[in-house]
Amino acid sequence: MSTTLKQMVHWRVVAASVCGTSHVKNEQLCQDAHNWQVLPDNILVAAVADGAGSAKLGKVGSMIATTAAVESVQKHEISRRALSSDDFVRSLLTNAMVAAKKAVEEEAEATSSSYDDLATTLIVMVATPEGVAVAQIGDGVAVARDYQGNLLALTMPDSGEYINETTFLTSFDSIDNAQLRLWRQPIVNVGVLTDGLQMLAINMAVGAPHKPFFFPLFEFVANIDDKSVAKEQLVKFLRSERITQRTDDDLTLVLAALHE
Amino acid sequence: MSDTLRLDEVVEFAENPEPRCPCVLLLDTSGSMQGTAINALNEGLQTFKEELVKNSLAARRVEVAIVTFDSSVNIVQDFVTADLFSPPTLSAQGLTTMGAGIHKALDLITERKNLYRANGVAYYRPWIFMITDGEPQGEFEDVVEQASLRLQADEASKRVAFFTVGVENANMMRLGQIGVRSPLKLQGLNFVEMFVWLSASMSAVSQSKVDDQVALPPIGWGTV
Repeated sequence: MSTTLKQMVHWRVVAASVCGTSHVKNEQLCQDAHNWQVLPDNILVAAVADGAGSAKLGKVGSMIATTAAVESVQKHEISRRALSSDDFVRSLLTNAMVAAKKAVEEEAEATSSSYDDLATTLIVMVATPEGVAVAQIGDGVAVARDYQGNLLALTMPDSGEYINETTFLTSFDSIDNAQLRLWRQPIVNVGVLTDGLQMLAINMAVGAPHKPFFFPLFEFVANIDDKSVAKEQLVKFLRSERITQRTDDDLTLVLAALHE
Repeated sequence: MSDTLRLDEVVEFAENPEPRCPCVLLLDTSGSMQGTAINALNEGLQTFKEELVKNSLAARRVEVAIVTFDSSVNIVQDFVTADLFSPPTLSAQGLTTMGAGIHKALDLITERKNLYRANGVAYYRPWIFMITDGEPQGEFEDVVEQASLRLQADEASKRVAFFTVGVENANMMRLGQIGVRSPLKLQGLNFVEMFVWLSASMSAVSQSKVDDQVALPPIGWGTV
């Protein structure tokens, strides 16, 4: 039975990155970026990145990193069968991070910039109806919800001791120190966000995702009719006064729901 | 799906405490500060409060504590957010037990960080801002030496940022040996301008983003 059901489901995805009010004020570019693809066999790959505020080319770094990470996963022509091997999943995510790092370094060399000028965080997620895997360097959070309504933080913000520090893809040992998480459980929703939304979406003291934040958003993405309208609504939400009162940072949110 | 759906009306936010930006003022209240110096310092503290609360984020994020050192060391003000900070009126007498004062300030920071961690409060790198018109006096030399070693280790491991401001007859060379950063020499008794700067700096730090190189305002009130 479950086979027929799962063949009928498909991913509905909505994602947006918007510029924080502090960056608007300073006429800076939004330094967040995201990229996603639904690959054959119901495999969703998504990447988000937050270019460092102090990096001259933070926007370039985050765009290149997310594009390269998604392309790397895409090139492997993976199947859900292959993803049943933990080793395969680990190498898939590691390769995606390596590809992203290499792409950023090549851009730095091509433009005679330093790696620090393109410093960026990176989260790469691969999700199927049977589970989800994430690799994360630096800040931000990836979450997933199972059929029972359990909402799990797959990763946690890696912000060092102080809130204004984090690790970056461009750091020499970034890939060795990345968080890797694999959750094998039938899932219905995944979400990925950058640090601008962290304080609104996560109960930091217990390190748990805030259900009243995610559940209405998951409901929203599950019921999308028109993709461009949905994206507009998400952008409007990220720019709403309720959010900008609480954070002036760039914001990125990727939401996905398995829909029958 | 209706295009009139307003996500901001249905999505609720987690309630996390504001990140905190702790700042200890470590103040010399020895006898030599008596008179105009201590009055100017008191006036400066008022300014510090006024300037911090002008910035609504800084008012909620910057936490001020005051430790004084003379013949003894006193916590005049334990950590309090800027909006609730009520500047004390300090008086000056006695010796200059600076080493013990530095130890106390570092202890306070350690305790505060433990409290932040226990309560899931994010925080910025703490600052200690020491103001003195002299040099250590009236305590054993090894207390000063221990304080200095501890301070240097804490700076090296980024546990704290320690700034020293020398007033008038301060022994700048001796102060330079105690801390890691070069001490700054206050011009005259320009405490008001110094505290305006400190407030602006704390405001900048308390709103800095991940890995921002925090650009501090230029120092117009003193010299290195």
